[in-house]
Amino acid sequence: MAQRLALRRLLLLAPRGTPSSAFGTSAGRASTFNVQDGSDFQDRVVNSPKPVVVDFHAQWCGPCKILGPRLEKMVAKQEGKVVMAKVDIDDHTDLAIEYEVSAVPTVLAMKNGDVVDKFVGIKDEDQLEAFLKKLIGA
Amino acid sequence: SVEAHKEDKPQKTMEVNGLTAVPESYDYDLIVIGGGSGGLAAAKEAAKYGKKVMVLDFVVPTPQGSSWGLGGTCVNVGCIPKKLMHQAALLGQALQDSRKFGWQFTEEVKHNWMTMTESVQNYIGSLNWGYRVALRDNKVTYENAYGEFVGPHTIKATNKRGAEKLYTAERFLIATGERPRYLGIPGDKEYCISSDDLFSLPYCPGKTLVVGASYVALECAGFLAGLGLDVTVMVRSILLRGFDQDMANKIGEYMKEHGVNFIREFVPIKVEQIEEGTPGRLKVTAKSTTGNQIIEGEYNTVLLAIGRDPCTRKIGLDKVGVRINEKTGKIPVNDEEQTNVSYIYAVGDILQDKLELTPVAIQAGRLLIRRLYAGATTKCDYVNVPTTVFTPLEYGACGYSEETAVEKFGEENIEVYHSHFWPLEWTVPSRDNNKCYAKIICNIQDNERVIGFHVLGPNAGEVTQGFAAAIKCGMTKEQLDNTVGIHPVCAEV
Repeated sequence: MAQRLALRRLLLLAPRGTPSSAFGTSAGRASTFNVQDGSDFQDRVVNSPKPVVVDFHAQWCGPCKILGPRLEKMVAKQEGKVVMAKVDIDDHTDLAIEYEVSAVPTVLAMKNGDVVDKFVGIKDEDQLEAFLKKLIGA
Repeated sequence: SVEAHKEDKPQKTMEVNGLTAVPESYDYDLIVIGGGSGGLAAAKEAAKYGKKVMVLDFVVPTPQGSSWGLGGTCVNVGCIPKKLMHQAALLGQALQDSRKFGWQFTEEVKHNWMTMTESVQNYIGSLNWGYRVALRDNKVTYENAYGEFVGPHTIKATNKRGAEKLYTAERFLIATGERPRYLGIPGDKEYCISSDDLFSLPYCPGKTLVVGASYVALECAGFLAGLGLDVTVMVRSILLRGFDQDMANKIGEYMKEHGVNFIREFVPIKVEQIEEGTPGRLKVTAKSTTGNQIIEGEYNTVLLAIGRDPCTRKIGLDKVGVRINEKTGKIPVNDEEQTNVSYIYAVGDILQDKLELTPVAIQAGRLLIRRLYAGATTKCDYVNVPTTVFTPLEYGACGYSEETAVEKFGEENIEVYHSHFWPLEWTVPSRDNNKCYAKIICNIQDNERVIGFHVLGPNAGEVTQGFAAAIKCGMTKEQLDNTVGIHPVCAEV
């Protein structure tokens, strides 16, 4: 994607979309964050004491824009038992390649540094809830 | 060390046939410089035969700062965004026509440049990612770094942070493509844009001056006008050099009648900024090519489309002895895409005397790899390659232009059959009834074989593809006449 246009879009986006550690709605506070780099991923995802859902997305991906907020909402409903990490695959291509992401959105369920579940594409709220509950419970 | 290499390597390389094993262990079997249409096709094909391949792709930002991802010109700043924006303009026309077909809407129809550009760039982003994944799936190593030769079999890759790495390979494929040429006049790099910038321009270009008469110039001028912008094309001499001039002039006439202004036989000599902005205001001063007349004009944007230059001058070709045409920068190759250095090959727009088209680069790249690694012998056929120019009235062609046919076979030996046609879809909305046109050029001495096909009308590309296959099979006029037409379509002509 052309760099000039991407930059302008970034500047126009509401704070939620900026690369800084973003916070969602008040309900989602501290349960969702944007991964900054490889070591950030290591600290807050791989070494996380809580289970993490990792949302691999891209600016040019329409379905990602639908899934993202929906997933955040369902994560917030779990009252802190799970956190959500968002990874932009164009900004963090190495991470995306390492975790074998082909299409987006790809969501990984991670526990103790291991990928225990995953899905690709959009899911509805009920399916997301089941996915999250399985991750927390298992 | 590289120095020691240089002493004895050149002799060894010249003696050794590119196909026999060289007693050296290299990092890679093949390094491809350039991740565009030709480079990526070749890299993926080589990986299929189990070769260890690396692709180096790097986009040097334009003077305006534009850059893009993996995929080359076609995907990022060429065919793909061009066709999408051409489609945007066609849809605008369709909306107008729709009222005559009974669609009723009261709102005024306007165009939003940002919405279109964002959609186009989103699609391109998905393609860039798709290419990354494809390379990974084919186990091709990819580096976003600028490649240049530093010695025999050795290349230096510099990434955008300036870090340098050296790699060696048994063979190299140069597929670096081209970039737009600038005029070399005051203000050109500071204030003008090129096609490299247009498709991601973060603001509507407004009143635009397009300099040039290439297909890039006419296609861009065409869709910009179709989107409702005030467009002027400044032409030095003729339109679409190298194409059938009869058809080129018809294209120009159509564009003129549909709102594109033409300034003929002038060249810009100076571009100045009157006011900064997105877009700003620019003053262009131009001089006549036939006299001393000077004219001035004010535009929001000046788009340069005067030609493209190969990226061959700064990649260290002199260090490995690859000969290039000093004047044009193009690389001469034999009919197996091999340069004068036996282990270095080239494909795509940088080749001398070959067509600058994506499908040609892809085909040449794939066949080359099959010859190198799969024992194939098929060479790329550059004859009878069909093309289409996506001007507002599309033009598809395959084979000889009328002028070239006359030159090669003699006027008395060729017969031209032609006709105007009125697409059924244009009748109801009362669009032009005498603009669409088709002609075929036949060689009388060879059974009236069809040697040239030209069509001007909607969906010209779709129409031309089938006829190109027929021409490749050696279709004659009689066979064409005996083919029953599909009705009602333009192609039945």
